[in-house]
Amino acid sequence: MQSASNGCVQNGAPSCSNGATENGHGDGDSGITLNQTNQEIVRLIGQYLKNEGLIKTCESLMNESGCRLDHPAAAKFRQHVMDGDWCKADHDLQELRPLLGQTTNLLEMKFLLLEQKYLEYLEDGRVLDALHVLRNELTPLQHNTIRVHQLSSYMMCSSTEELHERTNWEGKVVFATFSNVTPSRLNELLNQALEFQTLRCSHHNTSQGVALHNSSLLVDHCCPKSSFPMYTVQILNDHCDEVWFCQFSPDGTKLATGSKDTNVIIWDVNPDSCTLSLRKVLEGHNYGAAYISWSPNSTHLIACGPEESPEVWLWNIDTENFLKVSQSPEDALTCCAWNKDGTKFVVGGIRGHFYQCDLEGNVLDSWEGVRVNGLWCRKDGKTVLASDTHHRIRGYIFEEVAEQQILQEDHPIMSFTVDKRDRLALLNVATQGVHLWDLKDKCLVRRYQGVTQGHFTIHSTFGGANQDFIASGSEDNQVYIWHVRNEQPIATLQGHTRTVNCVSWNPVYPHILVSVSDDCSIRVWGPKDKMPKPTVSSSNGESSNNGTWNDMVS
Amino acid sequence: MGGSRLFSCARCDTNLTNRSELISTRFTGATGRAFLFNRVVNLTYSDVQDRVMLTGRHMVRDVSCKSCDSKLGWMYEFATEDNQKYKEGRVILERALVTESDGMEDRSYNDRRQN
Repeated sequence: MQSASNGCVQNGAPSCSNGATENGHGDGDSGITLNQTNQEIVRLIGQYLKNEGLIKTCESLMNESGCRLDHPAAAKFRQHVMDGDWCKADHDLQELRPLLGQTTNLLEMKFLLLEQKYLEYLEDGRVLDALHVLRNELTPLQHNTIRVHQLSSYMMCSSTEELHERTNWEGKVVFATFSNVTPSRLNELLNQALEFQTLRCSHHNTSQGVALHNSSLLVDHCCPKSSFPMYTVQILNDHCDEVWFCQFSPDGTKLATGSKDTNVIIWDVNPDSCTLSLRKVLEGHNYGAAYISWSPNSTHLIACGPEESPEVWLWNIDTENFLKVSQSPEDALTCCAWNKDGTKFVVGGIRGHFYQCDLEGNVLDSWEGVRVNGLWCRKDGKTVLASDTHHRIRGYIFEEVAEQQILQEDHPIMSFTVDKRDRLALLNVATQGVHLWDLKDKCLVRRYQGVTQGHFTIHSTFGGANQDFIASGSEDNQVYIWHVRNEQPIATLQGHTRTVNCVSWNPVYPHILVSVSDDCSIRVWGPKDKMPKPTVSSSNGESSNNGTWNDMVS
Repeated sequence: MGGSRLFSCARCDTNLTNRSELISTRFTGATGRAFLFNRVVNLTYSDVQDRVMLTGRHMVRDVSCKSCDSKLGWMYEFATEDNQKYKEGRVILERALVTESDGMEDRSYNDRRQN
């Protein structure tokens, strides 16, 4: 229902008695003259006090300020509308005129009033009266002619039920919601303020909503930077060559890292201490593990090699059984992705091999004629996104032999990942950096600044409690973190001594971030209070709490 | 797309590419002589088609003018022979279906200011 533009009508039970608010505006006992804004503030405070049951305080506030919660003319108008006394209501409307501002508001209200009158006549079966309203009152207003035509068609309704159904009108009660000072307006405003502060909070990394019941109004909401994962908590040197890839399991309890040293290491995540402990070394990948994908239920792992490696390994994490998936040594299979139901996966490479396989490694389908270097299975369970040597990402549906262009870059796409909502894709583009694309609208959304991305395969990640953040490795040995809405980094993490190849943000414990580098190390980043205490000498002999981060925000 | 020598659609004169994108003129299309270009704009692409050419099996997409939809040539999606891989992503325009014209001279901003 339409609301008036000015503060005059209040919803709910019969409001603050007119008796207490007989004084006119700016006519209070104290002789204080309040301007429009201040009057509105006082009225909001009055409404708040009344809702909290502080009726006397409210009344004395109204008396002293000369304001009132409800304009007497508006109260009268509402009463007449509720009573269906259309003649008087129309008269009241004239009285309210000075409060309504533009004349269109008055016209609109008059129209709504007549519309209500017309519908109520129809509802009561007073067709002739309704017709009279339509012909002699609604039509002459010459307002919203389309609606008038629509209204006239309701004449044909044979029953009240049909009328309600066709008009989507709930009957006489509707006009009661006609209001503009919504109940608890002050709370609503304060909630909006909190919402805005949350949006502006550059390090907001909690899934808990910010609301009146859990935050203070005395200061602006702002997440402390010290709880953001940008402090080195742990450095692991268990790989003895370049570490190429890292990925947390979907359940957040494990991390898999892949290295040129041919090992895949599975780590257990200790969320309380924000550290990793070695669980299992999976040996056997002859080319080194350059890409790893966890099955959706975190039980299986696929590891692919670099460049033109034909080897794909499929491990069962619990039984430690493994399976070598390879068609022929001629194949290049360097990227893979699990179908969302975990029953099959896709693998591919730049020699043009692109297969869909089951858990036994059997090829179910293959796609000819595309050289892929990155894969992702979409939520619909059938579309596979593949980045290819033509700098495109296209969607492929094996079952329907259908393909569709999604996006094209001008430079090679080195890697890409997709967010939880299956809406945004994050691309590392050679010589360009990190680009965010909208998969639905098929448009480039943002180019994140700062990162050094040449022709190395570097992987970026969505992360944080609401996937509000983006992190990427970089050829300048740093980890970059951005807020998804802002192209300038909010932090650069320093510590690695060579190219950072991959970062992974824990999907369940958003205060844990991991990066791996050509310097052979794995670094775990966490909040400041998880940093090792200076008195405890770290086992790997490196000073791991030397403030190795550089905050970009002053 | 600027450049001194422009290639445009012969039917509607929509600009397609320029001389600096030209890789080779030694190709033959359905209408005779054809040119291979590195990059061509204002095209629409057909679905992939499997074609056996003189140089082996290729997957190609026919390309047409984005403006008037007349056929102009094809684009190499995938070459099965390794020695033909350089053609992937490149575009063939048939000589008879495009026109060549003088474009704007590629002078720098400072040159223009001095005049």
